[in-house]
Amino acid sequence: MANNHLLLGCLVTPLIGAIFALVFYRSNRVQRSVGVLCGFAAWLFCLALLVQVHDRGVQTYALGNWQPPYGIVLVADTLGGLFAFMVTTVMIFGLLYTFHSRDNCMRYPAFVPLFLLMEVGLVGAMLTGDLFSLFVFIELMVLASVSLTAISDDNLGLEAALKYILISSVGTLFLLLGIAAMYVTFGTLNLAGIARIILTGELLSLAPVSVLMLLCAFLLKSAVFPFHFWQPDFHTTAPTPISAMLSSIVVKVGVYGIIRLVTLLYVEEAPALQLWWLSVLGVIGIFFGSLGALRTYNAKRMLAYSTFAQIGFILVGLGWGGAVAMVGAIVYAFNHAFIKSALLMLMGVVASYTKKKTANFEYIQGFGEKLPAGIGWLFLLGGLSLAGIPPLNGFISKLALIQGGVDRADWLNLIIMVAAGILTLMYMVSAWQHIFQKKPNAKTDAAKAEGDSAFAPAALIVICLLLGTALAEPLLQVVTVTVEQIRDPQVYIAAVELLEGGG
Amino acid sequence: MMDFVFALAIGILFGIGVFQLMRRDLIKVAIGFAILFAAVNLFFIAAGAFEGEFAPYADNVAAGLTTSDPLIQALILTAIVVSFGSFSLVLGFIYIISRRYETVDSEDKHVTALKN
Repeated sequence: MANNHLLLGCLVTPLIGAIFALVFYRSNRVQRSVGVLCGFAAWLFCLALLVQVHDRGVQTYALGNWQPPYGIVLVADTLGGLFAFMVTTVMIFGLLYTFHSRDNCMRYPAFVPLFLLMEVGLVGAMLTGDLFSLFVFIELMVLASVSLTAISDDNLGLEAALKYILISSVGTLFLLLGIAAMYVTFGTLNLAGIARIILTGELLSLAPVSVLMLLCAFLLKSAVFPFHFWQPDFHTTAPTPISAMLSSIVVKVGVYGIIRLVTLLYVEEAPALQLWWLSVLGVIGIFFGSLGALRTYNAKRMLAYSTFAQIGFILVGLGWGGAVAMVGAIVYAFNHAFIKSALLMLMGVVASYTKKKTANFEYIQGFGEKLPAGIGWLFLLGGLSLAGIPPLNGFISKLALIQGGVDRADWLNLIIMVAAGILTLMYMVSAWQHIFQKKPNAKTDAAKAEGDSAFAPAALIVICLLLGTALAEPLLQVVTVTVEQIRDPQVYIAAVELLEGGG
Repeated sequence: MMDFVFALAIGILFGIGVFQLMRRDLIKVAIGFAILFAAVNLFFIAAGAFEGEFAPYADNVAAGLTTSDPLIQALILTAIVVSFGSFSLVLGFIYIISRRYETVDSEDKHVTALKN
């Protein structure tokens, strides 16, 4: 099979954008324009790629024309294509938000380049077919996001960044150890190659160790229960567009890794692995996250805790593991990215109007009446979507997930999940009332004349509405195709084998 | 024998690294960070260094000598570069923190008072 150059386009466009943005370091406006343009171009590439993958099956690209056993290969199956599409779509709006933002850190010449490098890392991690380059891309993404948080306007950003880079490096160590163990056992790092050896049936010496290490690393990257403690600090203190990206798509890298691990590599062992670990961790995450969100003191922090809970929902879906539940989990991951980024950006808009630049509940009680009209309603829509109220996309994802639970007849976890869904409604609506319905009191901060533009979050909410109504059917259809495809690892392996033969 | 020595060395390095990572002093944390990465690189070497005795040149392969695995060495080089980058970033953060609070003690009472 010939190389498909679209794959390279998805990856290289933001990289070129980052370099160009560095060249224009004198003018902030030009930098931001370059950022949005490249983000948009990468989105077009990903869209075209997704269409091709959907129509013609798995697409591959051998970098530098080195064939798979020796070279690095990019592979886009529907799962990778769908996740890359999600990443680039949300990224455009993140870049658009920087356009009209007044944060000091966004004047920093390295801001846009780092933002684009984060995109390279994310897209690369989702499109690579090689375990070691997965590590390199994840590390690129981590370093970029850490640097972006460290230059945040919030003084605590630096400490959160230090904490995260230390914890995430320990996760990286696990990833590296897992990769080394994989290499010792299988003699290759190509995902398809490993899968082919595993499919022959013999479980080799270090394989269980390596799968545990990789699982730990991915759980840490997506902030699941025992590894979550860095997450609220890090996501709260980051600059608004960055925290929107971190909380919506960066945590999905871990989810993506886990899906790859249990569908491509350890298919046989997956049921035992999934039911035991992931569902329980997910349920614990849902409860800790929801209760944390209910009682916290800062609106952005509330949304960070809520991410922790939402990842729990996805994990429960992965833990159930049947085809229906897998569809639910992937739809949930896809929709959550749009809802959460919109909500965090709206909170950033609210904070940008306050004198103190804070989203602390104490200072923003009743602040809504000093804001431009409509922000409150957008926030309410987002909150309802997060809680899963029709006609928004949160409803579709909850529905798909619950269908998975009914399919597995796992009533205990299902009941817990639905109960926690009510908790979501509680914290979102109470936050909305606190900010937009109550009367301001003495502590309420004074308002500035101008703040960030609410265009990007508004557009994201519109996308949420569309995903809940008109686009729900196509999305479900694509995800169903995805799940059919990833449940048969042979498809992925065969595509890479074709590359090995022809070139 | 060599395997045992390597295993011991990796274990000791991991122990030291994890211990240092949990210290109060941020500089020691950074040192622990570097030691941990060294341990992982050593693990990589142990994974593939003893297969052959000669450098993996084409001439050596053609002569039928047992060459060591070149891929492992490429992986370690990349891992070293990545860990070097993270390490310098950590040191930069610690430098700014130490300038801001005039201490590298992460549990300094004076700093806690400043923040509240």
